[in-house]
Amino acid sequence: MFSTLLGQYSRSFTVLLVAIVVVLLEVFGVRSAIYPGLLPYFEWIKYSSWIGIIGTTYGSIYATVEAAHLLSMATIGGLVLATDLRLLGVLLRDVPSETVTRGTHKAFSIALTVAILTGIFCAAGVGDKVYYMEVFWIKMLVLLTGACFMYFIKQPLLNSKPHSEINPWLIRLLAVTSILIWFTVAATGRWIGFS
Amino acid sequence: MTNEKKWGDKEIAAFGVAAVMFVALVSYWVSEVDSTVELLTLAYGSFKLFNNPLVF
Amino acid sequence: MINELLLQFARWLEVQEYSQMLLAGYYSYNWLEATHVLTLMVSIGSLFIIDFRMLGLILPNVSATAIADRLHKPMIIGFVIMFITGFLLVYAKPVETIQSLWFRIKMILLLMAFINAWIFNARMRAAEGSWDNDRIAPKNLRIGAIISLVLWCGVVTMGRYIPYDWVDCANTTNTAILWAAGCVDQLNAL
Repeated sequence: MFSTLLGQYSRSFTVLLVAIVVVLLEVFGVRSAIYPGLLPYFEWIKYSSWIGIIGTTYGSIYATVEAAHLLSMATIGGLVLATDLRLLGVLLRDVPSETVTRGTHKAFSIALTVAILTGIFCAAGVGDKVYYMEVFWIKMLVLLTGACFMYFIKQPLLNSKPHSEINPWLIRLLAVTSILIWFTVAATGRWIGFS
Repeated sequence: MTNEKKWGDKEIAAFGVAAVMFVALVSYWVSEVDSTVELLTLAYGSFKLFNNPLVF
Repeated sequence: MINELLLQFARWLEVQEYSQMLLAGYYSYNWLEATHVLTLMVSIGSLFIIDFRMLGLILPNVSATAIADRLHKPMIIGFVIMFITGFLLVYAKPVETIQSLWFRIKMILLLMAFINAWIFNARMRAAEGSWDNDRIAPKNLRIGAIISLVLWCGVVTMGRYIPYDWVDCANTTNTAILWAAGCVDQLNAL
């Protein structure tokens, strides 16, 4: 009986399990125990890794990669807005939302990959600074959970059946959450530059 | 279309994750606005978005 | 001559009360800059989708003019916000910005991008219907899309260079750069 239920609702149980693990890790102070041990890696990536050395030595290369990071984030933003505003019924209303959701996903993955790679380069150049910034860790957390949300939750559901068979309020919630996630990733990223 | 079909495994997982993330992100931005208002009130004496440096 | 006039204008702006308020405000300049940069996601994000569609890289099974038409409005809203915030950013730091080589190149690229967009739009209207559902747009529109992508990448890159001081008036003695950046005082001192 339980194994049937587990098989039928494997995704929901996995989500629940992950949530429980995260809460337990937090309750037992695992995050705060790991944090001090991460500093040497951030110092290494800035002072000893080749990306850190290039980033800190050549300002023009660093600024150009920053621009590439901005461009990839702009592309992500455009794709997210087109997809999610379509799901909300605001944009591209005459194009089926299934078509938009599927058609933008590959470009989103490419833009996200470029954003992550250029982002690693940008963070490496200021590794010892971002380590101490709360906003950097918030961005990383939202980026990680946001990517998991896109690839393991939102996209699988939207690709699994016609959108007319999914509760419209659930679709709206997914779209608004997705916009919030990528806005937060971009806005916290901009704030890292100011701090 | 029955309700059971509408709320399968993927729907339940999606609702759970999206609801938690939505509430977490909205709470984050509300707390950011709150702390910013507090900071600006402390800096300028009353809540202002910016101030005249010649007068301040 | 034009450099002297621009500098005079920038110095006049610099002493304006609101210019100083924007710059000295606790967060005002950062918020302006953040809004300017984040709106890229709306303006350039929409524009890139249109350009990618013309090149057949995205949504090839959706009518190209439908994509261009439907995304036109958010793109324009994005660009209007970018122009307003961009103007205010210049207003907050007028002398520094007007004497920035990167800002000047950015303005030239922006002008070129708008001329290209105007030609692109005219060509798209002229060719309407015949190619709409093709996977890729006709050659002249594809070239327009590539030029648009290159120019906007240039605009964003130049925008990113503006805060860096590599070739600020005080950091270079190269006459050509000083002239191009409009460093009037440094040129007179040579």
